[in-house]
Amino acid sequence: MKALGLIIVALVGAILVYATIDFPPFGDPESPASLHVSPRYLEKTLEETAVPNAVTSVLADYRSFDTMFETTVIFCAGVACFLLLRVPRRRPPAPRQFRHRLTGLTFRIKDGGEFVLPVREFEPVDSIWTPYDLIIETICRYLIPFIQIFGLYVIAHGHYSPGGGFQGGVILGASIILLSVSHNLRTALKRMGEKTSALFSPLGVLIYTGTGVLCLVLGYNFLDYQALAALLPGGPIMARSHGIFLVEVGVGMAVMGTMVWIFKNLASRGRYDEGL
Amino acid sequence: MNVHYPALLVIIPLLASFFISAAGWLRPVWCFPLAVAAMAGSLLVSLGLLVDVLLGIPGLYWFGGWPPPWGIYYRVDHLNTLVLVIIAAVGFVNLMAARPTVERDFPEKAGPFYTLYVLFVTGLLGMVVTGDAFNLYVLLEIAAITGYALIALGKGRAALSSLHYIFMGTIGACFYLLGVGYLYIVTGSLNMEDISRLLQPLHGSNVVIVAFVIMMVGIWLKMGFFPLHAWLPNAYTYAPSPVSSLVAPLMTKVMVYVMIRMILTVFTLDYAFLVLKLNDAVVWLAVIAIVAGSLLALAEKDVKRMLTYIVVAEVGYMVGGFWLGNRAGFTGAVLHIVNDALMTFCLFLAVGNIIHVKGNSRLESLSGLFRTMPWTMGALVVGALSIIGVPPTCGFFSKWYLLLGAIQSGHYGFLAALLGSSLVGVVLFFRIFEIGYFEPLGASHGPAHGEGGAAVREAPLGMLVPLWITALSLILVGLYTGEIVGRVIRHAIPEMML
Repeated sequence: MKALGLIIVALVGAILVYATIDFPPFGDPESPASLHVSPRYLEKTLEETAVPNAVTSVLADYRSFDTMFETTVIFCAGVACFLLLRVPRRRPPAPRQFRHRLTGLTFRIKDGGEFVLPVREFEPVDSIWTPYDLIIETICRYLIPFIQIFGLYVIAHGHYSPGGGFQGGVILGASIILLSVSHNLRTALKRMGEKTSALFSPLGVLIYTGTGVLCLVLGYNFLDYQALAALLPGGPIMARSHGIFLVEVGVGMAVMGTMVWIFKNLASRGRYDEGL
Repeated sequence: MNVHYPALLVIIPLLASFFISAAGWLRPVWCFPLAVAAMAGSLLVSLGLLVDVLLGIPGLYWFGGWPPPWGIYYRVDHLNTLVLVIIAAVGFVNLMAARPTVERDFPEKAGPFYTLYVLFVTGLLGMVVTGDAFNLYVLLEIAAITGYALIALGKGRAALSSLHYIFMGTIGACFYLLGVGYLYIVTGSLNMEDISRLLQPLHGSNVVIVAFVIMMVGIWLKMGFFPLHAWLPNAYTYAPSPVSSLVAPLMTKVMVYVMIRMILTVFTLDYAFLVLKLNDAVVWLAVIAIVAGSLLALAEKDVKRMLTYIVVAEVGYMVGGFWLGNRAGFTGAVLHIVNDALMTFCLFLAVGNIIHVKGNSRLESLSGLFRTMPWTMGALVVGALSIIGVPPTCGFFSKWYLLLGAIQSGHYGFLAALLGSSLVGVVLFFRIFEIGYFEPLGASHGPAHGEGGAAVREAPLGMLVPLWITALSLILVGLYTGEIVGRVIRHAIPEMML
């Protein structure tokens, strides 16, 4: 079986090498890929969409329909993780642990045990709880707002520089995940609950698709942002730029929500009680 | 009629899926009605498109208003309009039948289930309607990811089977994407018709040959064409019944359509049949697929698992029929996409009903079922007759065209495989009928025995009505074969075959 696998791999490799014989030379400006559709994208992007970054205009305007489904793929992944991992909350509580806020002493409550001490002075902790770390918690607490502002910047600045909804959304999502890693899952859940992240994900894609439907309602083709000129100032070319911004915001929200959602499901094995 | 129909076809279910997902958190009771509305909307739009095609109105749509090759476009023609209707119809009818099982087996997950269900159908519709090679890949991803998740929802070894499917499916999708990438390297375009035009002078290029081969292997992997079918039986057996009756009839057929579309529109028949001359070899592969699928089905003791091997054999029918390269074979292959989707759908629905009532679908638990579940078994008989190919069910007509094609091109191996597999079908299904009809109820030795007896009843009405709609449609489609072939499929046949 192993030998068979090796033969197949070698065969596929040989086929791929065989194809390279007829490849255009590496970096050739005269190769078909750089002569057919790409010149228009590069030359006309500013005058047709008012976006200087050709990557963004191809991604979110010329081939916007693909990007809408790429965002939907991310949404699908989030829903799939939830569907398969989430455990319904019927389970009886397992042994729980609580930490006294002032002294740092940790108590373990057995299965079915009652907690009689004043609850306010205690906080629940995880069974594989790493000791309270002042340095990590403090630094992350100060760092996270800046990370988030940078994430917003990346989304907003996709028109001019590398960036956009996917990258910005990942940075925003990572900031919440950092909160969870540096503190614990519960702290992150308090900031962004399960429902919030689960609703962010479809809402983001809905903004994207909704922009397209809006164009359709206004009498143009689906995702033809020109239509937005009726609602936004700046004429049809500027409307394309604005349309791109709208869908980038949608992508950012969807990516952020889905990342956090998937992380929570994976880290807590679908139980949402403890985890990283 | 409406110029936006091609877009609405996928946008209605796509939008609905977001609302279903949100409703799962806010108002769970709305999930099912929203899903029904989405599927009904798609079905109506697909019927509208069919009418347009019959009237000769081209269904072209430029997304974002960009003309091809710069933008993405959808194209509805005689080849894909029937496939669209079948996908939307199966998606709609199966959703109706799914409700009792979903509410009993995983009520708290209904929201995400319906979300993924609707997205799966969206992905399939998009794959069929698109005219852009890369867009097809993106929609393939949607259909694949949702399919993996839905299959993994089953009990027992479902998660493991789904993982196996993910590995194989990802390889298949990657191969397809690699093919698209190779074509882009030599043409610089992603639009199917544009690639085809630019490929004309490049037929001798190694890159195009490798792109063709690797794309075909990828597509065959996804459709479970015989030596590449290993993921299919487990994935479709362990999936929950509403999922297997959705995925099993549609996914493989859509991939057959993709194969035909890529060859007809992108590579052209000249290239596949005259330059590469692969036709004879592929038809022989199809013969092996039919024989192997039928024999493996014969060895199974579980009806659902047996059906999955029938699916493997049926894939061989369609691939072989197309690669015969003549009119009758092509007609048979395209007609069989429609018919086989309906036939396997009917059978999987019937088995779903049996599983809903009896808890499993092993042969021994079928004993006496004709008495306790007469409606379900009646529909099973109709579906089985169609698979065997008994007139007036639709299975007979597509098989007839395939046989005709085999005779015309003188491919007697394929002819023998078709006839042999029909005989195997007779053996398979009459064994089921025998157990169901003649063996007394409760004579079984399986674990179902305890819950058998008086407790066994017919499946709920909500599952029987969709089943019988499907069973009757088998006969109806069979009776209207002449219309379907004459008014739709005949126009899809490329000039080279005439």
